[in-house]
Amino acid sequence: MARSTAVLRALGTAFRRDWKTVGSIGVNAFFPVTVLMLGRAGGFLYLILGLVMLFPASTDPMRKIPASRLGLWPLDRRDRTILRFVSPWLNPITWLLAGMAVWALRGRVTFGLWALAAGLVAGGFLVSDRMPAGKAIFWRRVPAFPGVVGQLIRKNVREILSTLDFYVALLLSLAGLVYRFAGLHLAGEAFRDLSLLVALAVCTYTQSLFGLDGDGGLARYRLLPLRGWQILLAKDLAFLAVTLLLLLPLDPVSGIAGAMMALAVGHSASVNQHKEQTRWRFSGGVSLSYSFFQVGAMAAAWGAVGLTSTWYFAAVVVVWMCSVAWYGKRLDHSTYLVL
Amino acid sequence: MISCRDVTRRFGNFTAVDNLNLEVAPGAICAFLGPNGAGKSTTVKMLTGLLPPSSGTVTVCGLDVAANALEVKRQIGVLPEDLGLFDDLTVEEHLLLTGNVYGVGKEETRARTKQLLHALSLEHGRNTFAAACSHGMRKKTAFAMALLPNPRVLFLDEPFEAIDPVTSKIMRDLLEEAARHGITVFLTSHILSVVEQIATQLVMIRKGKVIWNSPVGELPQSLEQHYFDLVEAPVVEELEWLGPQRS
Repeated sequence: MARSTAVLRALGTAFRRDWKTVGSIGVNAFFPVTVLMLGRAGGFLYLILGLVMLFPASTDPMRKIPASRLGLWPLDRRDRTILRFVSPWLNPITWLLAGMAVWALRGRVTFGLWALAAGLVAGGFLVSDRMPAGKAIFWRRVPAFPGVVGQLIRKNVREILSTLDFYVALLLSLAGLVYRFAGLHLAGEAFRDLSLLVALAVCTYTQSLFGLDGDGGLARYRLLPLRGWQILLAKDLAFLAVTLLLLLPLDPVSGIAGAMMALAVGHSASVNQHKEQTRWRFSGGVSLSYSFFQVGAMAAAWGAVGLTSTWYFAAVVVVWMCSVAWYGKRLDHSTYLVL
Repeated sequence: MISCRDVTRRFGNFTAVDNLNLEVAPGAICAFLGPNGAGKSTTVKMLTGLLPPSSGTVTVCGLDVAANALEVKRQIGVLPEDLGLFDDLTVEEHLLLTGNVYGVGKEETRARTKQLLHALSLEHGRNTFAAACSHGMRKKTAFAMALLPNPRVLFLDEPFEAIDPVTSKIMRDLLEEAARHGITVFLTSHILSVVEQIATQLVMIRKGKVIWNSPVGELPQSLEQHYFDLVEAPVVEELEWLGPQRS
């Protein structure tokens, strides 16, 4: 019992630390902006956010212990049984489900809803338990890009695919796709508005473009004979390629204008204030005020292109290119990449 | 090929490297030895442009590293302390990236990649992501990246640590061949037996100061003994709780 208690205590510490990264949603531009703009009317978006968050939040806490270490510890069958049955209770989602079960018994929520939530949590738990760590799974099979920084773009696309922001944007994009091709009636402006939402969902990533590179990656950037603007361009092209793909069923021109403006604003934070990010979490911005400023600039670019004239697109491109050149130069002289 | 003049690096009040003076000739294999925290990696970082010196001048391939960082990077190959790999690229993709960035032709990059993967027994893991590689595989990948652009100078930070004996021998042979072709090799290592076999110049550093710098033939005794005498002697602590009574 003492052995399993010691392991559970360590596991609890590790899991608690990991859960703190869920808080990144607080400084992700999408969540506070949708709450402010839509309030109670944003039910559909909150549902998408909840669904996207649920899977990584319902991971098996035992995954925190490396399999080789667990095998080496002198734990008997009883210890292992205790660990297996007690460890899921380290996850707050399990307590939430238990609370929902009590509500269901008291008739405050339906059993159907509880069963749906329990099924989704169980799905996330089992997938995380079965998924082999570090193995190449299908979404990592990103095609190679041409050019000097082609492999860097490929890497950057993979990084974007490991943030939850992308999956929220994907669900929104798929919703637009369904409306467009299923012949359901939706006003043309709705696709334009949806394109802003998609750009909003992914924009916070641009505040920490180097957040998923890790110490090794940052050191390698410093060793490669590349100019700062080339490194930044590889980041931007990956972001724009992914965003464009998401915007194709909606309104790509105004959406991309917004995305370019998000990059132009986000460069400053990415280059001057390094913020590490965690995979399978929402990207965290440097501050809420910065996020709001970024969203304002994005909305202005999106509005100018989508609501007035597409000629403004050229102006947005110029602003973005100036930002790449300026912050590329800053990157050449930046020191944080070697810390 | 490598020249350091009065190079000092301070971090706040702490002096990591103190007034370093060093010359390494073309085609030499210079081993830079010292205990952990002596200033070896800081020196390598300054030589490769990763870290500016607080004072002094570093010249590599006749170029001032501080003033010509980009040109110096084009001329050198580096195996850094933390290996500098991207979690989201596979072993093979790292080599293809290196070829692209250093301006090696597409076909030539593919040919060199194939050769290096074969030479370093990395073929079976070519499609493994760096995040999923063993430490040995990661080190071999970083080593292959350093060699692929055919640099004029190689900087290797602890290349033989965590490497199996066969790969270690292959790496030694590759380095000796590179040196025969005029490539300068600057390496740090704790494995004195390996260093003794391949180095032509030995530099020892302790607390940021160079305490020995000579061709390997001028050592007065075995390298290990000389290292223990000059740099640090091993102290064996008796752990009285170890063995007799199990707890």
